[in-house]
Amino acid sequence: MRAYTPKDNVQAKPYYTDRFYVAPQVPKQAVESDEVFAADLEAIKAKFEVSDAYIQVGQMVVYIHAKDNYGVLELLKDELQYTQLTEMSAIDWLAKENKFEIFYQMLSMNKRKRVRIKMFIENGQAVNSVEKLFRSADWSEREMFDMFGIEANGHPFMKRILMPYDWQGHPLLKTYPLQGDEFAAWYEVDKIYGKEARDIIGPELRDPARVDRYDSDRFARLGHEVPKGTVITGDEPKIEQSYQEEGGVFMIKKFDKESSVVIDDPQR
Amino acid sequence: MAQHKINYTQDGGLPVALTSIDKIVNWGRSNSLWALTYGLACCGIEMMASGASRFDFDRYGTIFRASPRQADVMIVAGTLTKKHAEFIKRLYDQMTEPRWVISMGSCANTGGMFNTYATVQGVDRIIPVDLYLPGCAPRPETLQYGVMLLQKKIRANKAGNAQKPKRLM
Amino acid sequence: MAQIKNRLTPFFENISFDREDNELILNFGPQHPSAHGQLRLMLHLQQEQITKAHPDIGYLHRGMEKMAENMIYNEFMPTTDRMDYIASSSNNYGFALAVEKLVGLEVPRRAKVIRMMLLEINRIMSHLFWLATTALDIGAMTVFLFAFREREYLMDIIEGYCGARLTHSAIRIGGVPLDIQDSFLLQLKTFLDKLPQNIKDYEDLLDTNRIWLMRMEEVGHISKELSLSWGCTGPMLRASGTAWDIRKEEPYELYDEVEFSVPFSDKGDNFARYRVYMQEMRESAKILYQTIDMYWACVKNNQTELMAHAPKYISAPKLDIMTQNYSLMQHFVLVTQGMRPPVGEVYVATESPKGELGFYINSQGGPYPYRLKLRAPSFWHTGILTDLLPGHYIPDVVSIIGTTNIVFGEVDR
Repeated sequence: MRAYTPKDNVQAKPYYTDRFYVAPQVPKQAVESDEVFAADLEAIKAKFEVSDAYIQVGQMVVYIHAKDNYGVLELLKDELQYTQLTEMSAIDWLAKENKFEIFYQMLSMNKRKRVRIKMFIENGQAVNSVEKLFRSADWSEREMFDMFGIEANGHPFMKRILMPYDWQGHPLLKTYPLQGDEFAAWYEVDKIYGKEARDIIGPELRDPARVDRYDSDRFARLGHEVPKGTVITGDEPKIEQSYQEEGGVFMIKKFDKESSVVIDDPQR
Repeated sequence: MAQHKINYTQDGGLPVALTSIDKIVNWGRSNSLWALTYGLACCGIEMMASGASRFDFDRYGTIFRASPRQADVMIVAGTLTKKHAEFIKRLYDQMTEPRWVISMGSCANTGGMFNTYATVQGVDRIIPVDLYLPGCAPRPETLQYGVMLLQKKIRANKAGNAQKPKRLM
Repeated sequence: MAQIKNRLTPFFENISFDREDNELILNFGPQHPSAHGQLRLMLHLQQEQITKAHPDIGYLHRGMEKMAENMIYNEFMPTTDRMDYIASSSNNYGFALAVEKLVGLEVPRRAKVIRMMLLEINRIMSHLFWLATTALDIGAMTVFLFAFREREYLMDIIEGYCGARLTHSAIRIGGVPLDIQDSFLLQLKTFLDKLPQNIKDYEDLLDTNRIWLMRMEEVGHISKELSLSWGCTGPMLRASGTAWDIRKEEPYELYDEVEFSVPFSDKGDNFARYRVYMQEMRESAKILYQTIDMYWACVKNNQTELMAHAPKYISAPKLDIMTQNYSLMQHFVLVTQGMRPPVGEVYVATESPKGELGFYINSQGGPYPYRLKLRAPSFWHTGILTDLLPGHYIPDVVSIIGTTNIVFGEVDR
């Protein structure tokens, strides 16, 4: 019987996990332990609903509702001095709870603090674009769309950014295999030569451990370069490694080891 | 009237040399291999380094050209992605014959460490390759040795014949 | 076998360049000698002036984030080399630091000093490379040859340390694999003693050069608001009037123990960025001199450890692995299955030569990261071209791309 493999997460799995292994947690601190973060959280809580907040590895993490994302980021930018949106992207939790988690990584240069705003959206739901607040979100949201298929409402140019426009599938979804689906495997052949050429060009060789029995014929060892197709028997005489023909080449001096100088110190 | 006083029997007979058309054409081709700058990724940096002061590619007559119409050899240096694949074919088609291709580095040879959805598993799926240089990234010395081997290959072939269409693997 | 016909149509048929409003669409790239990689720009032109710029990236997208989800942590280290391939060690370091923060490791002092040396050597290498290529694009061939000459000296030092010229993998999670070789400090000192004169040579060639000034001054002006809004970091931000250096503001390693200043300018044009890069090389040299003293202090105090001691995450030293049974078992498990960091997430930013290099790691307690996001500075430095190029002329495109110092391994990842 063929072993069952889950289809909703095709990423690499550890082949052995201790049955009684309980993974430890990265310690979380209460927000009250830091004055600046506590004040910021109060300001956010005054206007928006916050479902969870804590400090992890020196950065505050705040969970908000997806509909509030524009408002919270506006508040952070205009009133709380978080002037830069350093990074934003999504995490795929579709296999577990059919949700995406989206994080916005904010930086305040005056306070020297970093805050991560996080929220959950349902599969297929769109987020509000924050491109009007931070221009950097322009490309981040396009990348998020490209990689996860999450659209941003109100974005001026919602197109793929890293993959070609005619690409199928969203690569960073957990359902997308690392080495691509059939469309990805034949993309360049189909585009350049057409589907008819698939048989002539052949499938991609993706197994790094594969050994071709012709390898020793087609690839010569260094210093024993032979034309393609030559049968290598292994008892060829050792030839001195030189690139010029025996008789020399017209008007070109042959390298003379005796008359050359080797520089030991390159910084002489 | 001035008489020219060149002694044809000295200096190996220069400036007169007797040779065949094949040899003189191949001599010219092999010693002025103009390369198309095709730096795609990390290997492109090593390609630049081999063109710069320490390794000095000009000694081989190899000068980097920006236009495929002026280039003889395409040095594919770096990872070829699926998005870029059509452009390498376009540029290869624009090069005039005879043309050669050096695939520099593991990524260009086989896809290398990038065994992913976005990477073409070897440029030889798109264009025919004459020489594969191993390494990630190959040192400039490797590239120079590769160019020397290509020169040797050019000299070994007949110049007069039309270039046979190369097999696409 | 006959050659296969291809189906590609001539490219100009794909875009309608012949338009009623007399606007020309120019396709720049993706393989352009002065695009510093595989940048494709669609430029809308009125005469020679750009009215709209549309950068198209992704021509070097190799799926690194996807790879990270399918690899154990140590396996991913060589892949980070290929991000910003001009300064590989800074990427190695960013990743190593993120994992160390995640599992809570403390790196021995000697390893910290060696890491700082590598980072600053990489910074000088990267800036020299930047100078060489930008000068070449603008036509200053001599500076290109000079800067590459000096860069090769640094590459020799790095090669002596880790064996590779370009893709170093010289930093491990938890420390560094090796102590520096005997000739390292001597070579480094020789280089550093010559560096001020070298930088002065470049500046003599460029600072008062009429062509250089015309291409650089008052070209590519980025306002402070725009640079903040686009998430610019590093020299791009500092040249636009914000003195923000992560080494200074959120010090990691031993950067709080060394003396250096953060050069910045409020001009925001190409020339300001050029000045910031040149000044940063001098500051890096200053840091390197201090790290040499710190290294000797480590030798004096007999601090010989190079890797953190954490048997759950880091293999023991080679001597222990070869002599002690338990260390061998741990090593075997760590190599075959990988370390399992605690459940949690971390975002760690470091100051790479290009700007803020951040690694966001979400770990679910398994040997593979659940999500790894690479925050590469060049991504946004490319994005800013959308707002920066309109209004400029075609020749300015080359100098602006030059001074933004973008590397496409990092932009597309």
